[in-house]
This record gives sequence, C-alpha cells and structure tokens, in this order.
Amino acid sequence: MTGKIFLKGSVAGLAALMMSGAAMAADEVLTIGVADALTGGAAVYGLPQANAVQMAADEINQAGGIKVGDDTYSLDVVVYDDKANPTEATNAVRKLIDRDGVKYILGFCCSGATGAVASFIEYEDAVMLVGNAAERSITTREIGNLVRTRPPADYTGAAAGAFVAQQGHKRVAVLGALEISFYASYVEAFEREFTKGGGEVIAHEVFASKDRDMSPQLTKIREMEPDALLVVGYVEPAAFAYRQSVELGMDIPRYGFTSGSEEQFLRVASSEQMEGVWDLRPTELTLQSTGETGLAYHKNYSERFGIAPSPSSPYAYDQAWALKHAIEAAGTADDTEAVAAALRDLEIPSEAVMQYLPVNGKMFDENGQAYTANGAFQWQDGHWVYVQELPSDPEAYSAFLSTLD
Amino acid sequence: MTRKTIPLLAALALFLILPQLIAVKYYLHLSILALIWVIMAQGQNLIQGYTGYVSIVQAGFMGIGAYSTALMGSHFGLPSSVTIILAPLVTACFALLAGYPSLRVKGHYFAIVTLAFNMVIFIILLNFTDLTNGEAGISGIAKPGYGRGALIDFNDRQVYYYFVLAVAVLMTALAAVIVRSRIGQILIAIRQNEDLVASVGVAAWKYKLFAFVVSAMFAGLAGALYAHYQSFINPEIFGVAQSLDAILAVIIGGSGTLTGPVIGAFFVVFLPEYLRFADSFRLILYGLILVLATIFMPRGIVGVARDLAGRIRGQ
Repeated sequence: MTGKIFLKGSVAGLAALMMSGAAMAADEVLTIGVADALTGGAAVYGLPQANAVQMAADEINQAGGIKVGDDTYSLDVVVYDDKANPTEATNAVRKLIDRDGVKYILGFCCSGATGAVASFIEYEDAVMLVGNAAERSITTREIGNLVRTRPPADYTGAAAGAFVAQQGHKRVAVLGALEISFYASYVEAFEREFTKGGGEVIAHEVFASKDRDMSPQLTKIREMEPDALLVVGYVEPAAFAYRQSVELGMDIPRYGFTSGSEEQFLRVASSEQMEGVWDLRPTELTLQSTGETGLAYHKNYSERFGIAPSPSSPYAYDQAWALKHAIEAAGTADDTEAVAAALRDLEIPSEAVMQYLPVNGKMFDENGQAYTANGAFQWQDGHWVYVQELPSDPEAYSAFLSTLD
Repeated sequence: MTRKTIPLLAALALFLILPQLIAVKYYLHLSILALIWVIMAQGQNLIQGYTGYVSIVQAGFMGIGAYSTALMGSHFGLPSSVTIILAPLVTACFALLAGYPSLRVKGHYFAIVTLAFNMVIFIILLNFTDLTNGEAGISGIAKPGYGRGALIDFNDRQVYYYFVLAVAVLMTALAAVIVRSRIGQILIAIRQNEDLVASVGVAAWKYKLFAFVVSAMFAGLAGALYAHYQSFINPEIFGVAQSLDAILAVIIGGSGTLTGPVIGAFFVVFLPEYLRFADSFRLILYGLILVLATIFMPRGIVGVARDLAGRIRGQ
C-alpha cells in the first residue's frame, strides 16, 4: 500500500467512523412530556417550569444526551397546558401516555391538578416527576413511580414556627388564605412548632385570594395586641396585608410565606411599608443564597426567555437532570420501573439548582420526596436579603411522612 | 321498525363498536368523559330544554353526587355499586331543598338563584375541609366491582366505557319516557306558556320541581360515575364554568330534543381537546365557535340536521 492510498484509506475510514459516530449520537430520541399550567392564574408557576424543562433538555442534548449502554438518547419535549385544572391535567397526561407514547412526565406546578394525575399514575407504564405542587398528600401514597422535588408546605411551616419561637415571640396572629390547603398545612405545622417553643397562635383570620382589603381582619388582630403577625398567601393579597398593617399603625414584627419577588410586592406596597418583613420559605432560587449553578441557571434562563426565572422554576429544571441520571443509572430508557427505582436511589445531581438536603445520602426519600433548605429572608432597603437558614430536619420529616396514609 | 328507530339503532351500534375502532386509548378516555356528560346534559335538557328554565347549578349537583359517593364509600364502607345508586338520591334531597324556594321565581331570576346555589355548593366543598378535604380533594376513590384481575375489571377503561355507555343509554331512555309521558307534555306546556298551564288548573310548580329534582339526579349520577372513573375529585371540577358547559351542551346539541344532549356532550368534551393545537388561543377559538354556533344554529346541531334532512326530502 502506497502512502497516498494509505492516506486516502485513512481519511475515508475516519470519515466513515465520524459519520457512524454522528449517526449513533443522534439515532435515538426520547420524548418526555410536560403537563403544567401554561395559561390561567397558575401560569406564573407553570410556564416557567415548562421553560425550565425545555432549557434542561437542550443542555442535556448539547452535553451529549443520555447514554444508555451503546445508545445515546437526545431529548424531545412535548408540552401540554393543564391550566392547573384536574380534568385538564388528566386529559393532558392521558394524551401524553396513550397517544404520544411518553413514559416520563414532568412539570406539575399546582396541587389540584397534580393530585388528579397522581390518583392513576401508579397503574401506568410511566414515571411522574412533580415540581412546585406543595400539597402533602401527593407523596404520602407510596406511589412507586412518582417523585417530587418541592418539599411539602408543612415541612417549611414547621421550620418557620421554630424560627419565630426562637425570636422570643409568645403571641402570634395569623392572617392568610387558609382555605387553600397547602397554606393551611403550613400554618398547622407552624403552630405546632411555635407552641412547642412556648408560643401561642391567638388568631386565625382568613382572606380569599381575590380579597384586597384586609383592614377588617387587621383591625380585629390589632385589638388583640399580638407580639407578631404571620401572613400566608399569594403575593398580591399578602402585599395588601403588609401595606394595610402599616396604615393601621401596627408596629409589630411581620412574618410571611409568599415566595414573592421584589417587583411583585412593589406593585402594591412601598418599600417603606415592606421594611423589616420576613419571608420564611424554601430557599428556592434566590440570588443571595444560591451557588454557581443557580447563578448560571438565572443567567441562561434570563438570556433565553428574556425574563428572570421564577424562584420555583428550578424544581422542574432539576427534574430533567434527575431523570437523565436515573435513566443512565438504570441502564434503560424503556423500563420505567427500573428508572423509578433508580430515582429513589439517586444522589443529588451536580447540576441541581435548588439546595437539596439529602435523606440517607439520597435526593429522594422512600416516599419519593426531596427536601430543600428553608430560609429566612428579610426586606431591607427595597430588597429581599437572605439572613439565615431555618432549622429544618428532613430526616425527621421524612420519617413522619412515611407514617401518613 | 320505524324511520326513527333505524338511526337510533345505528348510533347504538356505533357506540358499541367504538372501542374497537379507537386505535388510541386517549380517545377512549375522552369518550368515557363524554358519555358521563351525556347523562349530565340529558338532565340539564329536562329542566332547560323541555321546561324552559335555565339552571346554572348542575355542576354543583354533580359535585354533590361525586362527593356523596366518595364519602359514603370511605366513611360507611359501602361498596361502590351501592354508593353510585345512592348518590343521585342524596343529590335529589338537596335539589328538593334548593328547588322549592328557587322555583318561585322565573326566567333570569331563576338562573341567578341557581347560580348562587352553585357558588354556595362550591364554597362548602372548598371550606368544609373536615368532610371534603378542601382544595386538596379526595383521591383513591375505588372503582366499582372487585378490583384488578376480577371477572369484570372496572379499572380496564374499555370495561368502564361499556358500563358508562349502559348507564347513559338507560338514562337517555328514562328521559325519553319522561318527556313522552303526560308529565313531559306538561313540562313542554310550561315552557310554552306557564300562565296558561296554571289557568287550566295544573299545579305547574309541582312539575317544575319534579323536572328540577330529576335533572339534579341525573347530574348526581354523572358526578358519581365521574368520581369513580377519575378516582379523584376536588371542588374545582364542580364550579360555575362546568354548569355553563352543561347549558352549552344542550344549546349546541339541540335544546328540547333527546339526541341534542348526546351530540352536545361529545362536542363540549372533544372540541377543547381538538383546539389544543392553538395553544393559548384555543379558549378564544372555543368561545368564538360557541358564539357563532349559538347565533347561527339557535336550534343546535340537531335542528340544522333536521332542516337539512327536510330539504333533501323536499327535493
């Protein structure tokens, strides 16, 4: 063989190898589904989650896809709007499974829709990864093919109750959207831990999500002379409650559970009216408290979608990465039982944005529940400032969750 | 065999072979939901289409039926087959209490009163958390029968389809019996001229109450079937929006006909799904289609079909 022929042969061989390599890298596509609220009132949570899954899928694809044995899968994302409505969510997931042949379904911002899907998912050849939906019962049913990245509301409520008791308050009044179950469960856990710390909740005043005048409830609370006020609910009514508490001359510490951004609060209340307010919630995506991964996520999301990501959106981003690692660990993309088991056995992925606290070294406990750190944020000079981590005990909560039906 | 029975038998045969024609199980799921809505719409048609009173509480009654079957099962340990039968009776009791005062008013006022009833039911379902579990809802509602692997396994969607189909046919037949009886003729007479009915010595309020309670029973039964099919209920499914869908199902299909609610029910369930391609614009499209259909097809799809058939026969 002459040198020229050898060179030609080598080039041709290399080209064939590269082509076969390229073919191998692109030869399998794994379709994953997203069911979330893309329209309606809950879209503020659902749409950023859907975006986050798409972003994670693209990043996974760019990083070489999911490697299963000799196969490499690239991810294709199909998204359906469930409007946070149980019937719509059921329809969307049925369609993903039955028509689109999807085996991995991510998203799920809201508890009602998630509960409806969770009621049948255990009988399907599919794995369900739940994001922002906070209702506790979603992970008390021991559904083997379901995991959730957001901790239940009462897990955070307990940490908040312990924190407020540590501040030395004895008499706290609660004002909130208590008809919404996850707010009610937050308050219930708060009260339990606060009482253990020697405190007493002296009032449970309620506002509806559409209420904007809380002065009657606040006037009643003011007459009871509490040491502190706890406001739980969606951002806008909570902001009105903070504003009106100042207008009514209530000079007491104010705590809350809202996960609202600065922009959202400033639409209703002035920075002066918000000064000193505490938000006691999962740390989620907060620039002051997040690490390099979170900062990169914030930057990439902002550049791609032209808007800052919502604090809860990384719950869905982390689902996609957890799924990638679970499929690789299981060594199969077809056997959903194996992938679901691998999820239960997964360590926290290095790509995760949220600050998960492992249980027995794993991301998800035996119930399929993940736990993040909880944080105390305080409004200072127009900004939420991360002050400290709240006392959270995921191991103990996980054991408690396992006792529930 | 009359000219009318042939299309009926053909439709029944189509429904019987439908699961074999459907290649994608998702459409079987939608068909089950549509058949549940057929029961709901037949009830709505009795009060709205035949009696002429627009009731905006049917979804609330559906909720009472759904919650009563779920709660009777979980609290008293009654089998699903029993609670499904009891659920419409429980709903009827509530309808009797609600109907007696509300049927003293007519027209728009009746619609507003029933709207208020739906809102009250919704608020109770949402806030009476000790009983209803509030917004979180009730999950794990058992299917009828003896579970997976049994001779008749209701977890199998095809089996549930035939079960709901049988109930829907039965309830449509019951609606047919009612409207063709003397009671039905009086209901139609009330719709045409209630004062005239009263002037000939007929106690119209009794018949109106009858129609209202029976329509509630239909809705309660639909709710019970829905609860056992989905295995999950929460208050959101039983709000005013769903009551409006029931009204639309009757209007779109053909008010005051027995076929109309069947067509309307499938329309209300399937159309929003087919419009999913339009993403966030689909609700606007859905609304637009409904508005246009209401303007240009005041007698519904059945009315248009009859006109068309008449013209063909005339030619």
